[in-house]
Amino acid sequence: MKKTKYIILAMLLMANMAWAQKPVPAPAQTKPVALTGGTAHIGNGQVIENALITFEKGKITNVANAATVKMDLNGYEVINISGKHVYPGFILANSQVGLEEVSSIRAMSDSREEGEMNPNVRAVISYNADSEFPPSFRFNGVLLAETTPRGGTISGSSSLMEMEGWNWEDALHTADIGIHMTWPAIARRQFDFSTFSFSESPNKDYDKQVTQVENFFMDAAAYGKQSNKVANLKMDAMQGLFDGTKTLFIHADNPKEIVSSIRSAQRSGVKRITLISGSGALWVAEFLKENKIPVLLPATHNLPDREDDDIDMPYKLPHLMTQAGVMVSLYNNDSMHGSRNLGFYAGTAAAYGMSKEDALKTITSNTAIALGVDKSVGTLEVGKDATLFVSEGDALDYRTNVLSHAFIRGKHITLPGNQQELYERYSKKYGQMK
Amino acid sequence: MKNRFILLFTLLLSGWSAWAQETFPRNDVKDQRAGMYAFTNATIVVDPQTTLQNATLLIKGDKIEQVGTNLSVPKGYAIIDLKGKYVYPSLIDMFTNYGLSEVERSRGRGFGGAEQTESKTKGAYNANQAIRSHYNAADEFTIDAKTADEMRKSGFGAVHTSKPDGLARGTGAFVTLNEKNDNTALLRPKASANYSFDRGSSTQSYPVSAMGFIALLRQTHMDAAWFGSQNPRPFADNSLEAWIQSQQLPQIFATNSWMNVLRADKLGDEFGVQYIIKGEGDEYKRISDIKATNASMIVPVNFPDAYDVEDPFDAEKVTLADMKHWELAPTNLAALEKNGIIFSITTSGLKKTADFLPNLRKSIANGLSETAALKALTTTPAQLLKIDNQVGSLKKGMLANFIITSGKLFDEKTVIHQNWVQGESYNIKPLDARDFSGTYNLSINGTSYNLEVTGEAGSHKAKVKVDTTSIDANAKFTNDLITLSFKPQKQGGAIRLSGWSEGNGWKGKGQLADGTWINWTGNRTGDAATKNGQKPNDKKEVLGNVIYPFSGHGYPSLPASETLLIKNATVWTNETDGILQNTDVLLKDGKISKIGKNLTDASAKVVDGTGKHLTAGIIDEHSHIGAASINDIATNSGMVRIGDVLDAEAINVYRALAGGVVAVQVLHGSSNPIGGQSALIKLRWGESPENLKIQGADGFIKFALGENVKRSSNPSSIRYPQTRMGVEQVYVDAFTNAHEYEKQWNAYNSLSAKEKLTAIKPRRDLANETMLEILNKKRFISCHSYVQSEINMLMKVADQFNFRVNTFTHILEGYKVADKMAQHGVAASTFSDWWNYKWEVRYAIPYNAAIMHRAGVLTAINSDDAEMGRRLNQEAAKSVKYAGMSEEDALKMVTLNPAKMLHLDGQMGSIKTGKSADVVLWNDHPLSVYAKPEKTIIDGKVYFDIEKDAQNNKVLAEERARLIQKMKDAKKSGAPTQRGEGRSKLQFHCDDIMGLDLED
Repeated sequence: MKKTKYIILAMLLMANMAWAQKPVPAPAQTKPVALTGGTAHIGNGQVIENALITFEKGKITNVANAATVKMDLNGYEVINISGKHVYPGFILANSQVGLEEVSSIRAMSDSREEGEMNPNVRAVISYNADSEFPPSFRFNGVLLAETTPRGGTISGSSSLMEMEGWNWEDALHTADIGIHMTWPAIARRQFDFSTFSFSESPNKDYDKQVTQVENFFMDAAAYGKQSNKVANLKMDAMQGLFDGTKTLFIHADNPKEIVSSIRSAQRSGVKRITLISGSGALWVAEFLKENKIPVLLPATHNLPDREDDDIDMPYKLPHLMTQAGVMVSLYNNDSMHGSRNLGFYAGTAAAYGMSKEDALKTITSNTAIALGVDKSVGTLEVGKDATLFVSEGDALDYRTNVLSHAFIRGKHITLPGNQQELYERYSKKYGQMK
Repeated sequence: MKNRFILLFTLLLSGWSAWAQETFPRNDVKDQRAGMYAFTNATIVVDPQTTLQNATLLIKGDKIEQVGTNLSVPKGYAIIDLKGKYVYPSLIDMFTNYGLSEVERSRGRGFGGAEQTESKTKGAYNANQAIRSHYNAADEFTIDAKTADEMRKSGFGAVHTSKPDGLARGTGAFVTLNEKNDNTALLRPKASANYSFDRGSSTQSYPVSAMGFIALLRQTHMDAAWFGSQNPRPFADNSLEAWIQSQQLPQIFATNSWMNVLRADKLGDEFGVQYIIKGEGDEYKRISDIKATNASMIVPVNFPDAYDVEDPFDAEKVTLADMKHWELAPTNLAALEKNGIIFSITTSGLKKTADFLPNLRKSIANGLSETAALKALTTTPAQLLKIDNQVGSLKKGMLANFIITSGKLFDEKTVIHQNWVQGESYNIKPLDARDFSGTYNLSINGTSYNLEVTGEAGSHKAKVKVDTTSIDANAKFTNDLITLSFKPQKQGGAIRLSGWSEGNGWKGKGQLADGTWINWTGNRTGDAATKNGQKPNDKKEVLGNVIYPFSGHGYPSLPASETLLIKNATVWTNETDGILQNTDVLLKDGKISKIGKNLTDASAKVVDGTGKHLTAGIIDEHSHIGAASINDIATNSGMVRIGDVLDAEAINVYRALAGGVVAVQVLHGSSNPIGGQSALIKLRWGESPENLKIQGADGFIKFALGENVKRSSNPSSIRYPQTRMGVEQVYVDAFTNAHEYEKQWNAYNSLSAKEKLTAIKPRRDLANETMLEILNKKRFISCHSYVQSEINMLMKVADQFNFRVNTFTHILEGYKVADKMAQHGVAASTFSDWWNYKWEVRYAIPYNAAIMHRAGVLTAINSDDAEMGRRLNQEAAKSVKYAGMSEEDALKMVTLNPAKMLHLDGQMGSIKTGKSADVVLWNDHPLSVYAKPEKTIIDGKVYFDIEKDAQNNKVLAEERARLIQKMKDAKKSGAPTQRGEGRSKLQFHCDDIMGLDLED
């Protein structure tokens, strides 16, 4: 009896701990909110000093210079953010959030389905709303993320998720925004023990693999026009590409792969294409510009690809691409924990050629366009989701990216999470916290 | 009288092909011949220094009887008139595996699969499978006719052969290239002892890295000394026995890069061995260091083909270093000669042996003297192998190993007619081939054609002119016969002719395309036109510079020390002065000379620091840049040393410099509870590996705990330990043994000189010695650690053995035991915000550094990563962002605090008068994402300058463009090309074995 009591106590304690570690999802917005006096970074290049921003039922209702508009804020929850800065929520593209947790543990990975052609598998289904990552992302301003399958040639369909929610349905912003495809590699990289370095050799199966991809697209396009068709889940999943409701995300690094893959997709009737690439895209920037292909670039915090490259190439790549007339945005190509530094990747792009507001676009409006979700997110504009945050200062710099408020579709979310709880607990242990 | 005796002796034994076979059965009547030949009227190159004109060579059997001018040929000699011909001692290749079986190489396999902790060699051999000193090439050698033929065609008459298998490869044999008889070909069964940094067929897990190879060879030297000092031996070890026996032979060390040449030489120096070192032909990249080794070299002429750079996208894959090597490799031998380095030349590494002489000629065109070339192929190898009494020159009593050539050996047109091995001739190009070059009138069935024969006698080419067009003809000439066919019209069949020489031409029969038989004649009408511009390399070729290091971002010369006066900057002193505004700092003689306002120095170059920040240079406590390998895999790898394998050409060193980093601890990886010894280096980009090291720095060593050392990512692992409790036992065991080891030595050392004579000197054990250094506070631990339990454990082990753990590195759960750490006095070097990539980092938080710092633990932020390592200032800034740490304290976490951890704070880590001038000038607040280093200064030398970098990028692009153009020209003129293979080095992390496992 006594024993049972202790067990119950222990269980309660454990439950309490779990509750303390993960912030409780906020309820839907019930009262209109007004943010006053802050500097608004719209996300499209514009900045409004002394801004008045209001939102209601999760949508932005006003974005204006407070000096020029008079508004009755009666009935509003008014938050004075004078001296602070307000930003649209950063958007993390091409991530495995919710699909992979501790990457070294196989059981904790849900991102790669068996097989080469998997347009029908949907990342949102695997999405773990209790992942430890979202609280760490949003703590730094990343409020939206694309959850993306990987592996194979056609990895599956990705969805845009909000970094809050009780379950995947709750956290879902837009389902199945696009299909991810990795174009066959022209060259294969292998390790050479005699020189202890990597070297590339031509992929002998390249042509064969390209034919397989092209046939798949051709069949899918034809399937859509068949009146008496044999039901096919894979072909069904592809249809959104031909009517423009889904984006085709092409992963290709080599300049030749980039041109071939985009030309191929265009020939098969794909309407919206976004390229996920690296410095190889710079060689064909003219082609990308002319074809109006948005490009997702890896984090600026990377090493140059090649020994001879300018040492700051990854830092200045977003600037060089933008200068060449290509719309670019940034994603995190490294271990997922780094995704919370998305703002600083953009900050680095600003240090190496871009204006700060252009750099901001690479993680807000440009990303929204690249993902095909720019109607509702990516900027602080009337009618869009009130998914935004307030920072003590410049959110692209370490010294000033300190969030005081964040809202996801108007929901005032709790920022501290597990890590902050541990900080508090051990600071108290050592008497460091007053 | 004496002469008569020799004559009698040789007579008895002559009929050379029979003498060695005296013990062999005969299946014929006796066929014993004198084997006496006289070569007359020749130009005889007796040795590289001595050439005799119009001379005679007499051989008898397999030996040279006499060489000289005005010799009269005794009766009974077959006379071969060599008027106009040359005779050379045949060439010697001292680095081959001729006549030995192929080595089945063990593939490196990272850390997958079950480890093999013991040798698989059956029998009483060495404990390590890669120690194959018991192997003797002579036991296995058998003639390989095909290779012998190829080698002879390139002028070789004898080679040294050893099996490229193992770190200790056993003895090599000296053999001739006779095709007849293994017993006579094997001239000296044990000619050398051989070593390398390549474990060959060994499948044993340890060692896998270059530093492990060095450690094992060092240990084997010590084992052999200990083993050999005892009689009877403590146990049987055929490998050690053979090792001891072969020490008096020439010692040859095979390497594959200039840096490995230095490593091999350093290894030899420790044991008083001067290795003869086989290099890779890139010695020119750092010729002064090569010279300083005093080693004699064996050098290949395996020049790379030009890269195919037609497609500009593909050309991007080829590094400038590879392009430059393509251009400069043929200058290597000239650089060796110019620097007075003794070298021999080998065919090793050539795709085909036939490339040997053409490549050698390229070297000569690039400045190698013909005398040096000949020396390197005759007397030098003979002397190095101590077999110059038998081969290498043409002197009385030496082997009749020589070649007969049409002209000077290294002239492009020269052909080798005959290659004589041990008195027996191998024909290559007929000696008496008739020269048919000229123009002829072909009369075929009444129709006239002009025939032109070009080229050298024995290798003629033919063209037929029909009207004005010139048609290639298939033609084959012997002195007596000719076969010739050509197509007079593009469409239509060929005319086919066969005939015989007649006067100055030919006559014969032939068939027209329609099968009609006809008669034909060819009458000489004149000399062949000599082509203009055929002389190659007429004009001096333009060559690029050697750069330091030999990498795209290398400098044409090393930066010099400067007196620099930085004016009016914001100076982060890291001292009690804090951050000083509008302050001047004078750097002089490599030191921080003055700090103050309105400083002047007449000799100083003034740098305007207005609006800029000057900080101490960044120091990374945990880095893996600048090393050729990171992990070996013995559970106790305390004997391996990163300092043995520093890589002076690692581009990440330059990239880190550009991020304001001045010094790093290059740590061993985390695959073992006890890892290898660290190297503390300054990022002196362009310097030699040894010069990167910080002189006088304390010794450090890597320890590691947790998932990596228990091989959690490898389900098949069988290596002890597999648990954290096993890890603890590894430590307790190692330190206990070290104490025992010390006792043994103390006991021995306390013996009297007399007692020592009969006592057995204990065996030196490198791992034990390292452990003992830790116990004696001469070496300091930096321990990779994550979870609190294991952190606590190691401190307890240290307490038990009465020492202090110097640093916990990574230490992501340090915040949970910060009080205990402060009490122990251990420092913490952590990641700013990495977490959740493996289970043991699940509870890592970005507040860790701040909590430990506030608890009184000396705390630093490290990188373990070449990317993060070049913006550590930003990583420090994260503690300001997350935990509100003061900016001064944050910057100290990447400057002064790591300096303290590495015991370097006496000379580095702050801006203080008298400290080393290791500083960074930033364009902005150093904790801002927008800050860039404009200058990174080490020892008062500007190793990185942002403006110079921009200029150098232009130079780099121009140099690439020049070389690409040159390669295109080479391709156009028919040179073979290779595909650019996009070579790139590994980016090392803690967990990399062969660099394939990427985790931290």
